[in-house]
Amino acid sequence: MKKIHFILIPIVFFGYVLSKVFQPDSESVKDKFTVESISSTEQNEMKKFHDNSSLRVTQKLNCKSCHSSEYPTKDDPGLLGCPRSEMISVYHSPEEGPETVLINEMSDYYSGVEFPHKVHAEMSEMSGGCTGCHHYNTTGPVLNCRKCHESSRSREDVSLPDLKAAYHRQCMTCHKQWSNDNGCSTQCHTRKGSGSIINTGTSKNKTHPALNLPTKLVWETNSKTNKIVTFFHDEHINKFNLSCTSCHNQESCIKCHAGKNRGDIGKLSRKEKSIEEHHQPCANCHFGNSCQKCHRDKEMLSFDHARSSGWVLKSYHAKVSCTKCHGTKMPYRKVEHKCVTCHKSFSAEFDHKLAGFTFSEGHTGLECKNCHSGGDFTKTPVCTDCHDDKSFPQDLPGTRK
Amino acid sequence: MIYIEHMNNIDRRNFLKTAAIGAASLTLGSATVKAADKPLSDDRIGILVDTTACVGCRHCEWACRTAHGLPAGELESYSDNSVFKEYRRPGNEALTVVNEFENEKNPLLPVFVKSQCMHCEKPACVSACIVGALTKNEDGSVTWNDDKCIGCRYCMVACQFQIPTYEWQKSIDPHIMKCDLCSERRSNGKLPACIEICPNEALLFGKRSDVLKAAKNKIKRKPDTYINHIYGEHEVGGTTWMYIAGKKFDKLKMPPLGTATAPGISEAIQHGIFAYFVPPVTLFALLGTMMWVTKWKKTNGSDEPKGKLPDVNDEKEK
Ligand code: SF4
Ligand code: SF4
Ligand code: SF4
Repeated sequence: MKKIHFILIPIVFFGYVLSKVFQPDSESVKDKFTVESISSTEQNEMKKFHDNSSLRVTQKLNCKSCHSSEYPTKDDPGLLGCPRSEMISVYHSPEEGPETVLINEMSDYYSGVEFPHKVHAEMSEMSGGCTGCHHYNTTGPVLNCRKCHESSRSREDVSLPDLKAAYHRQCMTCHKQWSNDNGCSTQCHTRKGSGSIINTGTSKNKTHPALNLPTKLVWETNSKTNKIVTFFHDEHINKFNLSCTSCHNQESCIKCHAGKNRGDIGKLSRKEKSIEEHHQPCANCHFGNSCQKCHRDKEMLSFDHARSSGWVLKSYHAKVSCTKCHGTKMPYRKVEHKCVTCHKSFSAEFDHKLAGFTFSEGHTGLECKNCHSGGDFTKTPVCTDCHDDKSFPQDLPGTRK
Repeated sequence: MIYIEHMNNIDRRNFLKTAAIGAASLTLGSATVKAADKPLSDDRIGILVDTTACVGCRHCEWACRTAHGLPAGELESYSDNSVFKEYRRPGNEALTVVNEFENEKNPLLPVFVKSQCMHCEKPACVSACIVGALTKNEDGSVTWNDDKCIGCRYCMVACQFQIPTYEWQKSIDPHIMKCDLCSERRSNGKLPACIEICPNEALLFGKRSDVLKAAKNKIKRKPDTYINHIYGEHEVGGTTWMYIAGKKFDKLKMPPLGTATAPGISEAIQHGIFAYFVPPVTLFALLGTMMWVTKWKKTNGSDEPKGKLPDVNDEKEK
């Protein structure tokens, strides 16, 4: 019987239905098209919240950080949106946090995840710190996600994401951008009961794989003269002892990891930088320098203390760290080539051997001022007080290395 | 039906127009008969799709297919992004699909939009169905009943979101296919399959009123992330599935629809006909007339028989 209907039932009503369906095109309905989903009072509130939130950046935490009204009551708490980062006090060094965190609460299709916390903590230093993930953490201990995020998806209060979503949202925004990969089992999980289990292992001490750091970077600029800029990456780290974060701050993982497997989209992500943005990392330290310090007509040679300063570092001084003489603050302090610039006063324990000089037997045990008359180490040592026929530097009270 | 399939668009429209006129004149006396409206529960379901939280993993597609006994394949195969090259629509092999759109704010994080039946508050498909095979339930879902369906496919034409599809490939007992909000799973106390599997809870399931509140809060809190529009809050009289996004919805291929409900008069007419039971012979006569008129128009090259109802479709083209 049904089949007959299939053939017989007339199409009569299609037209009517259609004409009704398309009716909203007529003029009278058109003005209803703009859907106002948020009322104007709510918009005012929104504005209030924004004005307030910009204030809060410089403001210490107080009642007004969370409540809009002077006298919040239980029935009308007048809650503002959570001020998030401004009220967070979480900060630990990566070493203080856990190595790995096992997330294993709601595994249905996949087994749990061993989250390498330390690796992420290390990297987070370059991009806003712990608060990137540990949002809404008030003073006190670091809260677990499950403290606020319910583990059941069918729940009364839907104002917060559930636990599964809270975890995934933390990870996926970055991981998705790196690789455009949604493969659960290529990134974090192993599939339950499937033959193709990826063994993530239970490796402790997961750290960021050793980076292949550049030694030297050379840019060619658009300028007509002094086209070449050379940057010695290794020297800044190894010789000048800069930490990664002294230059690489406010950078996310995407800076290095985007573009992998992404084809053109990855390329798009390379942001055009302004002149200021280009110079900012260098200018932080090199602010007094002229352009020619970096912009040359040919590649720069690597740093050489003798060439740059005219003072060859030998023996003891070759081992001294730069900061010992030049200070820890950027820019490094300029130092004159005189012993007393650093050696303002010597104590009796000064060991001449450190300066590469060993006294002969007769000279050990003398006081400094016996030779350095008046304790003035800037002047040439005097031999004539004891010896009529000796003079420095033709004659030495020992041997020089 | 084969007849319709072979008509080109213009012919089809004229044909339908004529059909409409016939229907209107047939049922003049019955336009006051109303469909029996079941009151919607205050606690009815709402689902908010947060397109900024969706990562396009398409697990919802897999879960939906699996829950409905449709060939689903391996879950792992869904991480293949190449399907996003083409825009896809929900159909009889996938009651829900996810599409990718460009994100101007961050090219590395495209916008993903899941689509399925919206479970309209005032569903056109339900109104269009002459035998009541589609039901708007108290909980907000719109479900289809195999036993009642006569295969006329009015629902397919009526739906403004072009959702119901027909199992063309099946000759025996073909079904009208669309998202049923997993009525079977829910009757067993489970969440709809797509909701349950979504890793990011980009699909927020709850009471419509709560979900709407959550949506407004999100927009309020992150005005830079979202545009101030909840698609489905008012569209076509409101829908169960609602969307928030960072860019305009027409850029996400979600049609700008008015707040007016679609069914309107068609509802009264169709229910009217069947209230008074128009004998099949009348319908045959009408069908015959329509075919004749359509043919007549073709051979005479005349565009429009005079003195007829104004046609909104023609207006649109001008
Ligand atoms: S979207 Fe279409 S099929 Fe779904 S309820 Fe609305 S009118 Fe019916
Ligand atoms: S609610 Fe059920 S039927 Fe509808 S899209 Fe989700 S899984 Fe499919
Ligand atoms: S499961 Fe959720 S995140 Fe994945 S595509 Fe579907 S809606 Fe988006």
